[in-house]
Amino acid sequence: MVKDYVKPRSLDEAFEALAMPGSIALAGGTFALIGEVHGTKADIERAVDIGGLLSEAVERRGSELYVGAGCSFQALAEAPAAPACLRAAALTMANRNTRNRATVGGNLGANKSCASLVPILLALGAQAEYKLRDSGPRHIALEQWLAAPQGLVLSLSIPIVSGTRAASGRASRTSCDLATATVGLAFRLEGNAVRDLRVALGGFGPHAMLFPAITALFEGKSLPPKADIEKAVEPLLSALSDKRGGADYKKRRGAVLVADALHAAEVLA
Amino acid sequence: MKVNFTLNGRAVAWNVEPGTTLLEALRAKGIVSVRNGCDGEGSCGLCAVLLDGKQVNSCQLLAAQAQGRAVLTVDHFSKDRGLSVVQQALIDAACVQCGYCTPAVTLALHELLERSPEPSHDEVRDALSGTLCRCTGYEQFYNAARIASKRLKDPSYAEAAAPEFRPDLRHVGKDREKVDAAALARGERAFVEDRVPADACHLLVLGSPHAHAFIKKIDISKAEAMPGVVKVLCKDNCPDLVYTTAGQGFPEPSPHDQRMFPRKLRYVGDRVAAVLAESLEEARAALAAITVEYEILKPVLSIADAKAPGAPIVHHGDVSYVVGEPPAGSSVKGDGRDDPIIYQFPLHADPHRNLAASVSDGIGDMDQGFAAADVVIERRYKGNRVQCTPMEPHVAYAKIDGGRLVIHASTQVPWHVRRIVSRVIGISENKVRIIKERMGGGFGAKQDIVVEDLAGYLAWTTGKGVFYRYDRREEFAASRTRHGMEITVKLGAKKDGTLTAILMRLDADTGPYGQHCLTVPMNAISKSLPLLLCDNARFEVKSYYTNLSPAGAYQGYGAPKGSFALQTALAELAAELGMDQLELIEKNRVRSGSRIEILRSLGEGRPGSPVTLGECGLGDMLERGKTAFAWDKAKPSAKDAGLSEDWKIGRGGVIIQQGSGLPGLDAANAEIRLLADGTLLMLSGGADLGTGLDTVTAKAAAEIMGLDMADVSVISGDTDITPFDKGAYASSGTYFSGNAAVRAAEDLRDKCLAVASGILGEAVKDLKIAHRGLIKGKRGEISLAKLAHLAIQGEGHHELSGHGNFKTDHAAFPYGAHFAQLAVNERTGEVKLLRFHAYQDCGTPINPALAMGQIYGGVMKAVGHSLYEELLFDDEGRPLNTNFLDYKIPSVFELPDDFRVELVPVADEVGPFGGKSVSEIALNGAAPAIAIAIHDAVGAWCREWPFTPERVLRAMGRL
Repeated sequence: MVKDYVKPRSLDEAFEALAMPGSIALAGGTFALIGEVHGTKADIERAVDIGGLLSEAVERRGSELYVGAGCSFQALAEAPAAPACLRAAALTMANRNTRNRATVGGNLGANKSCASLVPILLALGAQAEYKLRDSGPRHIALEQWLAAPQGLVLSLSIPIVSGTRAASGRASRTSCDLATATVGLAFRLEGNAVRDLRVALGGFGPHAMLFPAITALFEGKSLPPKADIEKAVEPLLSALSDKRGGADYKKRRGAVLVADALHAAEVLA
Repeated sequence: MKVNFTLNGRAVAWNVEPGTTLLEALRAKGIVSVRNGCDGEGSCGLCAVLLDGKQVNSCQLLAAQAQGRAVLTVDHFSKDRGLSVVQQALIDAACVQCGYCTPAVTLALHELLERSPEPSHDEVRDALSGTLCRCTGYEQFYNAARIASKRLKDPSYAEAAAPEFRPDLRHVGKDREKVDAAALARGERAFVEDRVPADACHLLVLGSPHAHAFIKKIDISKAEAMPGVVKVLCKDNCPDLVYTTAGQGFPEPSPHDQRMFPRKLRYVGDRVAAVLAESLEEARAALAAITVEYEILKPVLSIADAKAPGAPIVHHGDVSYVVGEPPAGSSVKGDGRDDPIIYQFPLHADPHRNLAASVSDGIGDMDQGFAAADVVIERRYKGNRVQCTPMEPHVAYAKIDGGRLVIHASTQVPWHVRRIVSRVIGISENKVRIIKERMGGGFGAKQDIVVEDLAGYLAWTTGKGVFYRYDRREEFAASRTRHGMEITVKLGAKKDGTLTAILMRLDADTGPYGQHCLTVPMNAISKSLPLLLCDNARFEVKSYYTNLSPAGAYQGYGAPKGSFALQTALAELAAELGMDQLELIEKNRVRSGSRIEILRSLGEGRPGSPVTLGECGLGDMLERGKTAFAWDKAKPSAKDAGLSEDWKIGRGGVIIQQGSGLPGLDAANAEIRLLADGTLLMLSGGADLGTGLDTVTAKAAAEIMGLDMADVSVISGDTDITPFDKGAYASSGTYFSGNAAVRAAEDLRDKCLAVASGILGEAVKDLKIAHRGLIKGKRGEISLAKLAHLAIQGEGHHELSGHGNFKTDHAAFPYGAHFAQLAVNERTGEVKLLRFHAYQDCGTPINPALAMGQIYGGVMKAVGHSLYEELLFDDEGRPLNTNFLDYKIPSVFELPDDFRVELVPVADEVGPFGGKSVSEIALNGAAPAIAIAIHDAVGAWCREWPFTPERVLRAMGRL
């Protein structure tokens, strides 16, 4: 039960409030308020409203796309500066009501396995700008931040490399369901050879992550038919059976997502 | 803390607790149009507000986050009780059924039209994506968006919401505004939770953590002593009697096997204890202070478990019968620890072997029938548990008023609630009043007395106002689901397709208690078998106790599962015979004039008798479907549908039926009063659960009395004010309650004519009622207003009123043909529903657009059951997906691209103006049509629903 609400005027104030036990950061809306209903009662004492302290911008900065952590999913989905694969991934977040409030930073902070946006960010090589209490902003590869989250993510910088092909994909029971599996991947083609491939998946680990083993299958080679890709990728995935499906099915679905995304990838605009 | 923001255009400064959500704050301040359907999960969207012009869920925002922002609720658009363009469009497009989601939809469309005045189909879908609706099937929302968009440019724009029927009548068969639509669209106080005063006490229940256990020891003393606690109840201090929660006519065909707090716990969530406290927080704290020691027993978690020799016994109390004797060989002596079971009459049960009820019967000679067959197939089909999921959970507010118990209830069965609650408390029925409020959906789940017994008892014994509302988790785990069923179908046929024998063996899982244990599974037979003509047919139905969640009524009762099994088996037989599946249906289906012999065995607890069918519209409906789906031509390709080569197209068509109430068993009553100004007050016993029943009764009155709809007000479902009605179940609303209203109006008409005859000096036979309430004779005329005035003012007459009672032995069957076209992804098993057409005969459609809305909604529920929905349990009987994040009901995204309802009326001789039932039947077609279409696409038979991608792949042998 939230007993205290803090609206800091600066990030420094926010960090001070967040340092107190039982604090959570709140930017858009939050799922964390409902612990009792799901039997996962979170021990939340204090909500620290950082809305307004984080940039909401989505803009090209040189050869990079800058995405402020305060940007809502709906704003990202509508941002002309964002490549189509990123906009498409943002649009798959739940529904419009949720997209209007859910922020990119909040989504990264949640660091869920089923994240729809994170795989494509990882595939595109996003760098996270984050801040700890009493220190200046730091920059780190997003995959590193997700592996050991700390502080608050302030923004993302996503390299937009000419010739990069990218795609994202998602499987779920219904359109608005949490994802069973998600994928994001990016690569270049040199002739017919796949170069600089990065493949990230959600649903096959504690959080969305890059899968170098999948990359290794195809790097430097011409793109195989979808059936061959599925056959090669499926054994590399491990999944847990749960409400959204059995482990075998999830692995199959993930492999199909990878195959489809590899064949559907389009050059970034 | 203080929060300053703008609410509906006015600056407000509210004091709120830091943890208060915006939803809670708004409701506390009387803004009741924001509703709670998912307890803060953010998946239902019913609490939506516009925050700085954008639609967001107020349950996921702290009120403090509204600081400095602009918040709009639907109340902004309802100023001075007016209606916005969007609200009126939703009403005109028949989108307001239960109305629980209407404020949220209104806001979504306002936001959409603000940024896109002429929205595309995709934009409308996106705008509505955050709002769940279980009633409407979403399709007509698109019409509302179009109407609103056009009216922004041209306020006079109008379009027909549905075809019209019965040109000889003024209101019936025409679209008229649903009588409660405007109030619901405005978000006015209408539901139980809107009636609860701030000082009401809160009731919470401690549910069992175990599926099967005795309570060895329970200590409530600490909880009783806690601040704010009014009363703590458990097995040791509750009424010591058993009853059934099934809201059925008395004596119920359901065993009385439930104690308010059972001695033995039979499912996860079963009542262990309850706390009534002055605040929710105090109730929560006290609940946590109750200590319980359990003796955990091995649970029964499937039908197979229940049937197994030596299985754990779910009910092991003494078994007795009010009438009749126990079946030979059955066990009646209990273990001395468990609660007793009382059957009102024999149901061929043997509870100590977990058999709650059984029945078998048939016609002809099965051995001879199968011997005569050229082809015999036997298939087994499984339908898992699905949840009704009304967007408004079970809720009651009970209070003492004038020395009597008054319960504001969200119930389909007010009179059954009164009867059962008074018996549980031990008081007479004259001490109890049930007021059925507007309901945020029921779908059968609210045919049971799930919360009213406890709320009523505590109000009566403490004198406090008691508010008891299930949260969504309780709604999933402890309200009612459709029974799980396993149905084996054996068919024999000649080479030409003529059926020679049909055998249906059905095992049902009724869960921990026996409400509807026989009637639901029997409906799987009685609403499927009579569709086919066969001289040799037999059924065997057994219903077993298990330790899974309680089962009960759900729209369609058992019919959707029986229809799935028999229609799919028929298609499998067609495949064996090398015939087109519709050709096989055509060969064997009932038609006009058919004599349906099997009804001899399907008498709803009484001896049945065969029926010679009058007109049957199945032929017309099948032809319409075949034409629309170009059945005689090759299927379209995936490319035609804009899909990749991974997708394969399939199609399927089925025939379906339902009943119209329970002939010979149920009854309905209505009273109508002529008021002094010539308008009418209809007092209907019927329980409108959002379906438009009150509009049916108003139409009947307006039609017969020559008035406009606005001249009729309806009060319904109040046990003090309105006459008895059996309740809204078994597709009885229009047929029974509607007919009672017709008879009441006819009675009033006849009385008015008689009185007018005396005043005008003309014979009754020379008088008739003309439009606008004018009684015209050959020489003179008198208005109803004048007549009423004279009658009331002491001209020798009393207030003019009419009374109507309806009961019948006539069985009125609505029929339908449902067609599906879909694509199956061979690599993923995913199913994309491309087209769904529902052709249905509901007799004269009393409210055509509302009837279509019922069908759209029914079909989408069935689509959800077929493709997505399944209540899951772990290996200890704990339900796993008790929320809308994990249990997925269809959103607007799941609609087929081409979704069409066509009404194909075949008037019924007894129904009101020729009307029949319309709603429940709509759930019977999707599962078999989709299963058949999946087979048509990829050659795999899916015999267990839902047909998840995983199950489809397994059926295809690809996983």
